Amino acid sequence: MKRCLLGLLLLWLTPAWASNAPRVAALSWEATEHLLMLDVTPLTVADAGDYRAWVVRPTLPEGVPSSGSRLEPNLELLAELQPELIVIPPVLEDIRPLLERIAPVQVYQGFSQQHDNQQVQREAFLDLARSLGREVLAEQRLQAMDAELAQWRERLQAHYAEHLPAVTVIRFSSPTAALINGPNSMPQHALALLGLQPALDLPPSPWGITQVPITTLGRIEQGVVLHIEPFPQEAQLFASPLWQAMPFVREQRFAAMPSTWTYGGVFSLQYLAEAIGEALLKLPSESGKAPQQPLE
Amino acid sequence: MAAVSAPSRHLLTLLALLPLALLHLWLAADLAPFELWTMLASAEHSFEFLQLQLSALPRLSMALLTGAALGLSGSLLQQITQNRLVSPMTIGASSGAWLGMVLATLLVPTFAADHGQWAALLGALLAVGLVLLIAGRSGIGGLPLVLGGMAINLLFGALAAGLVLINNQYTQGLFVWGAGDLAQIDWHWVQWLWPKLLLALPLLILAPRPLSLLQLGGDAAQGRGLALWPVMLVLFLAALWLCSVSITAVGLIGFIGLLTPNMAKMLGARTARDELLYSALLGALLLLSTDALALLANRLSGQLVPSGAAAALIGAPVLLWLARRHLAAEDPRGLQLPRGAEHFGWRSALWVAVFALLALTVALGLARGINGWRFEWPSALVWSLRWPRVLTAASAGAGLAISGLLLQRLLRNPLASPDILGLSAGATLAVMLALIIFGGALLGAVAPLAAFVGSLAVLAVLMLLGRRHRYSPALMALLGISLGALLNAALQFVLAKGSGDSFALLGWLAGSTYRATPAQALGLTLGVLLFGALALLFQRALTLIGIGDGVAASRGLNVPRLRLALLVLVALLCALVTSLLGPVAFLGLLAPHIAVMLGARRVLPQLLLAASLGAVLMLLADWVGRTLIFPLQIPVGIVASVLCGGYFVFLLIRGRLT
Repeated sequence: MKRCLLGLLLLWLTPAWASNAPRVAALSWEATEHLLMLDVTPLTVADAGDYRAWVVRPTLPEGVPSSGSRLEPNLELLAELQPELIVIPPVLEDIRPLLERIAPVQVYQGFSQQHDNQQVQREAFLDLARSLGREVLAEQRLQAMDAELAQWRERLQAHYAEHLPAVTVIRFSSPTAALINGPNSMPQHALALLGLQPALDLPPSPWGITQVPITTLGRIEQGVVLHIEPFPQEAQLFASPLWQAMPFVREQRFAAMPSTWTYGGVFSLQYLAEAIGEALLKLPSESGKAPQQPLE
Repeated sequence: MAAVSAPSRHLLTLLALLPLALLHLWLAADLAPFELWTMLASAEHSFEFLQLQLSALPRLSMALLTGAALGLSGSLLQQITQNRLVSPMTIGASSGAWLGMVLATLLVPTFAADHGQWAALLGALLAVGLVLLIAGRSGIGGLPLVLGGMAINLLFGALAAGLVLINNQYTQGLFVWGAGDLAQIDWHWVQWLWPKLLLALPLLILAPRPLSLLQLGGDAAQGRGLALWPVMLVLFLAALWLCSVSITAVGLIGFIGLLTPNMAKMLGARTARDELLYSALLGALLLLSTDALALLANRLSGQLVPSGAAAALIGAPVLLWLARRHLAAEDPRGLQLPRGAEHFGWRSALWVAVFALLALTVALGLARGINGWRFEWPSALVWSLRWPRVLTAASAGAGLAISGLLLQRLLRNPLASPDILGLSAGATLAVMLALIIFGGALLGAVAPLAAFVGSLAVLAVLMLLGRRHRYSPALMALLGISLGALLNAALQFVLAKGSGDSFALLGWLAGSTYRATPAQALGLTLGVLLFGALALLFQRALTLIGIGDGVAASRGLNVPRLRLALLVLVALLCALVTSLLGPVAFLGLLAPHIAVMLGARRVLPQLLLAASLGAVLMLLADWVGRTLIFPLQIPVGIVASVLCGGYFVFLLIRGRLT
């Protein structure tokens, strides 16, 4: 309770610090998300416009300028903005010497097949908090997320009467092909946090996604399929008899979830879990039962 | 094989289609053959049944339809132009369609989702129209058409790559189409396509007569009362229509239209009608088998393998093999560039110097910042960030110009340049391969070596093929075309995987000075200066070889050895630039020509002037790339390719129209 109050106090105090707030340039979207969750408004964000369009949450204030692309951030602009810290993804490791001429650099691991992405993002968040002296706030934010996730678990259990469905999250790339989020992808981590099993077993892949022909989805006999919006050609696909005949479509085990970034930082798990939870609650309670699955 | 009579050859091919179609169905429906039988027998409409009915069967029909259409269209084009290198792909239709689709997706996304095909169709027609304009009436039957197609392919490819790179999140949905996927979910596309292909029937009946007259030669045809130009134009448009609607329906699938007519001819199709019919049949067979391969790869790897990738993997080597058989004759016609001034006077030199100084000032001093434009001497920090890029760009430009000039003189071919000859594509392909094998982490260390090996390999092939055919422009261009097409297919394949690596690769391929370190910039500059000086030492040899091998030999030069040494020099130079920057199109071709147009006709002044022009052009391209869409940056390779390519096409069209 005491910590909670302290947190509120900190929150309330933040604007007053704005003048001497840390000047951090975020050259990856995970870092942007983490900074915003530490109540630090980044000095500049790589591909800020695309962040607002595709990542959406947490909201990036309108005034924050873009510092160019994530692959080739604009060095001269960074030099002009005079940040105190630059946070980069590993893909920019090779230009680190250049960036270090501008300001101290911290590199955080991004999405990779080699490690547990959820764990890595959590640690990156805590480490960033430490270097900005905001560990307390960081812990609170993580606890708040855990509490939120627990609530979603309960809601889902109540809705599905303890027989939770197996779920697979996909994104359509064309009317004939779809990307499935597989092991170690953020959507699958979010599913696990909600106590849900994947509806389709897939081998691990470099980016956690596997592109398959749409007909492969027909193999999902049990379980729910959620697709991440937007998909411009959905009218064309959803009207086709083959799509209508997919087991999960016929039995109403299919729903859309609002556009959510799937390569985000640790809090993207919460947004994904929310999106997944909301989509699942809209489905009838007997959808995609997977009775063999124990809870947790 | 030629002994087989036409009817039995057609029958045999038809018979081969049957088991292949069954295999294809089996792979597409994901069912064992006996299951297929039981399912057809049962009355129940399971998902598997629907999959067979609504996915596998339409896919089979689509492969047959588009294969036949592409084959027929290719045969028609080749017979009209009497040119075995012409196909929808080589004359720019595919790249036009791709650019149209990318533009539509970015500008009018909702329209593109439902009616993108019209944008693709329009793009294809526009591209081919430009190519026709470049080639002109007399060039339609020969090399100018192919070279013009190549120029448009490079130009449109660079434009599309730039757009995709800048709008990476918004174009992702395109990549499956771009890679050429035959997958179907209903009969929609088959029903869309077949009425549009009905045009083939009157073609098969009416086209053979004028085509066989054309085989006798244009004059003979006209002598027998054939209104040559209107008929050719109508046939050309019909062929274009067939391939454009096919591309629209299934995406970019290259090589079929190029290979099938050549194969038909090899297997004994002699008359015009026979070749048309048999090409259609072979096209269907070829696309069906490549698509079956794609399906098989898909099943084995568990992920989507686009049909276009399979077609390119088979097509590119076959094309090279075909090239050896068919390109004995040298085609002296090339593309004509304006001739320009006769002498390079002091006045021109002054202008060039002023222009260069201006470009340097702009590149170093004029920049955009958070508060808009600024013109000032950069601070120490900004200077340390800016000079390696500027130096890299300038040196690369000079290097490319020198290698272009050397190639043009050595091969006595005004269109020789690292990109047209496929040296850049070879280097890039090797780097791409290295990326796939070694992963992104080692790319920085492996890329220069891979680029060098790649361009040397291409050069070796060029030398081997070229000596037999006396370095004919057609052969050289052909190698460039097939490598370029292979590169494109590989690129589309990697992009279609939909992972985050795609854009990193695209960024490298785009050719950027962004990651140039001071050491690399200095190294490149030293290398270019060294190779440039070496080239200057050989200026007498270059002049003599440029006149003719006989002349050079009579003056006591060891021509083969000199040529080899100079070509290795070119490969080194090209590898040096490509490994740092990625491929840059048109610059190496254009800079020596501009130098000539300004009046520098002897080797020494042309070399110096071309190198400085190359450097200045790249300086400006790099500056445009850094400032045009600030804070985003466009890679210099794309800017240079688009600027120089646009100018090149403009020059060609102007030359044709005046």
